[in-house]
Amino acid sequence: MMRVYVDINRCIGCRSCEVACKRVHGGKGHVNVHITEDRASVPLFCHHCEEAACTMACYSGALAKDGERTSFSLDKCTGCGLCRLACPFGVVWTDKLAHKCDLCAPNETPTCVLTCPAEALSNDYEVALKRARARAGRATILGGKR
Amino acid sequence: MPEHPANEGSLCPKGNAALEIVYNEDRLLYPMKRSGNEWTSISWDEALKLVSKGLGRAIKNSGPDFVGFLSSSKCTNEENYLIQKLARSLGSRNVDNCARLCHAPSVVGLNRTLGAAGMTNPIPDLANSKCVFIIGSNLAENHAILSRWIHRAKDSGAQVIVADPRLTHTAWLADLFLQLKPGTDVALLNAMMKVIIDEDLIDKAFISKSTKGFEDLVKAVNDYTPEKAAEITGVPAVDIIRAARMYAKSPASAILYSMGITQHTSGTDNVQSVANLALICGQMGKEGAGVLPLRGHNNVQGACDMGALAEFYPGYRKSDDPETAKFFGQAWGIASLPAGRGLTATEMIDAACEGRLKAMYIVGEDPANSDPWSSHVKDCLENLDFLVVQDIFMTATAQLADVVLPAASWAEKEGTYTSTERRVQWSNRAIEPLGEAKSDLEIVNKVANSMGLKFDYPDATSVLAEINSLVPTYKGITLERLGIGGLIWPCPSTDHPGTPILHSAGFKLQDGRALIAPVQYKPAAENTWTEYPLILTTGRISVHFNAGSMTRRSPSLMERAPNLFVEINPGDAAPMKIEDGDSVEVSTERGTTVALARVTDSVKPGVVFMPFHYPGTNFLTTDARDAEAKIPEFKVAACKISRRD
Repeated sequence: MMRVYVDINRCIGCRSCEVACKRVHGGKGHVNVHITEDRASVPLFCHHCEEAACTMACYSGALAKDGERTSFSLDKCTGCGLCRLACPFGVVWTDKLAHKCDLCAPNETPTCVLTCPAEALSNDYEVALKRARARAGRATILGGKR
Repeated sequence: MPEHPANEGSLCPKGNAALEIVYNEDRLLYPMKRSGNEWTSISWDEALKLVSKGLGRAIKNSGPDFVGFLSSSKCTNEENYLIQKLARSLGSRNVDNCARLCHAPSVVGLNRTLGAAGMTNPIPDLANSKCVFIIGSNLAENHAILSRWIHRAKDSGAQVIVADPRLTHTAWLADLFLQLKPGTDVALLNAMMKVIIDEDLIDKAFISKSTKGFEDLVKAVNDYTPEKAAEITGVPAVDIIRAARMYAKSPASAILYSMGITQHTSGTDNVQSVANLALICGQMGKEGAGVLPLRGHNNVQGACDMGALAEFYPGYRKSDDPETAKFFGQAWGIASLPAGRGLTATEMIDAACEGRLKAMYIVGEDPANSDPWSSHVKDCLENLDFLVVQDIFMTATAQLADVVLPAASWAEKEGTYTSTERRVQWSNRAIEPLGEAKSDLEIVNKVANSMGLKFDYPDATSVLAEINSLVPTYKGITLERLGIGGLIWPCPSTDHPGTPILHSAGFKLQDGRALIAPVQYKPAAENTWTEYPLILTTGRISVHFNAGSMTRRSPSLMERAPNLFVEINPGDAAPMKIEDGDSVEVSTERGTTVALARVTDSVKPGVVFMPFHYPGTNFLTTDARDAEAKIPEFKVAACKISRRD
């Protein structure tokens, strides 16, 4: 299971990931696409932090680290809402019980990555790295322009 | 399907919400008839009797040309083929589809200049492009999958130019963004061509070998200096020059366009201008180049190929050519088919008003919402003696009908569709039709039989076989050959691999040469004046589809865009004391509609934008039309805005 990398240069704000996430999670989506006035857009969802504040706040053990993933167990959730307060990025929600990105476990690739028309989402670290390097290279050649 | 060559398994938000539409509680499940405002469910037998009686009476009393048929660019090729065959077999010339509202100018303009109306290069080929020029298309929202191929082109160094009256999500992809005034595309393109000619960036070898008419173009664009075009379009002259150089100097440049080019009274001119630009730069018939009209529905290309158009029989054989009527008459075993051009979709509405049309059979279209000046359209349709509508939902048009026939959705039937890139693909049936719904193919077959025609098509393959024999470009396209990714037409024989790139060996016109057909800039039909000081332009947003009869029923999509809105520049909003989120009235000479204001810099002062997915927008738009292609000018109307309180 790998994390999902977001390339805001590629995101076109179509919100397909939002609808897809909702589709595969029984009507509750865990992605929000934020769109700015100049049309930059970024899908926001759980970062699966290495030191996840939500897991520290969760006294019932519903939220816990599971390798790279921050996993969530519905059975243990009490609906107290502390995780929502603890998350620094506002990407854990409570609707009676908590819900957040589960990286579509046990699937190999999360649905948002499969569905993204613009390939703005990927779970391949090498791809993310290669693109960042290429962009830096281009910026150098073009004198600071993206 | 990750192995699909164009989408690689990705989906746009509408695709992700598809099941909410198929299994929607509003689906029409039984045939119904209307008496007054009361709807009653009836049996298929009774429905078919009513339809054959209603259409038959109009034919008997007034003549076959008093009946109109609207086919659907959402239906399969086989269904479109059958609908136009039904209309013409009954003796009516009036069959058309909603391509009239989106790409009729492409059919006319590209057939004239290039000899074929379709995307010249397939979608994945965009990755090979070194310069992508997008004009009048918000593909990031409306053809989201294309953005992945444009990103790949950018990864290998391509530059992207976007020309649009709005700062769209597509503009986010751009290296150079040209924010032009709505309806001034010809001025921009002519000026770009003048720069290219003056700076000698033309492809002389290509022009002399493969084109005609270049000398006329040189004269025609001579007056369009970048400075003059800057005055007309509002785009700075330096940016016009930069765009011209970027496009002409790149080894492979592609032009992508859609409704921003076509939905104008100058639609055909705009299309020809786009083709001219590609031709003088020799950006044709090779990888990464070409002219790419992006279609709005899943099967606009196919519906046109199948002859569901007033001026064409299947395979673009001209309906005003007596040979055409003879050819299909022999093939269909009918002594005299009607020759001559029929009424177009928009002309049928006029004819209904004026009593020149008595009955209509509308399949999968919602003109009461999707046509301009919709209040007028409703009055016209109510004036018909008999209206039958076949759809998956009770649309605004269906509510005006005498009989409504429940159609199966795409998931409940099979057949071929021809995507925007000329890719013919087979769609399998996934589920059985809901309720008593039937596939459009089965319904049209039954209607034809009830009208006394010998239609005997048990399934889509039997229709496809007939298409193979009559449409040369589809000759080699059979079910056995249609795997994932299908085949791209022309495919003239069963061992032909298809033709992803058109025009690589000359053009299908006289002498194998393309025609450079110069055009002059003409202002839009409606001008702003003191009473209506703002230009209203219309378009689409990511989470809705066309007139919205499907997507406005999906909870996932509706919660993301529930309300009609109007984008207005802060400079225009401030004097009227309009703030973001205020409820405002937008009025044109044709009507008034209510929308929520979105105060934003993405439109320039003097221009406002509304999406046409909600019934209110087309209340306002004008039915002024392109003289040749008959497309209405959805993109320019003079309007005014005021606060509601």
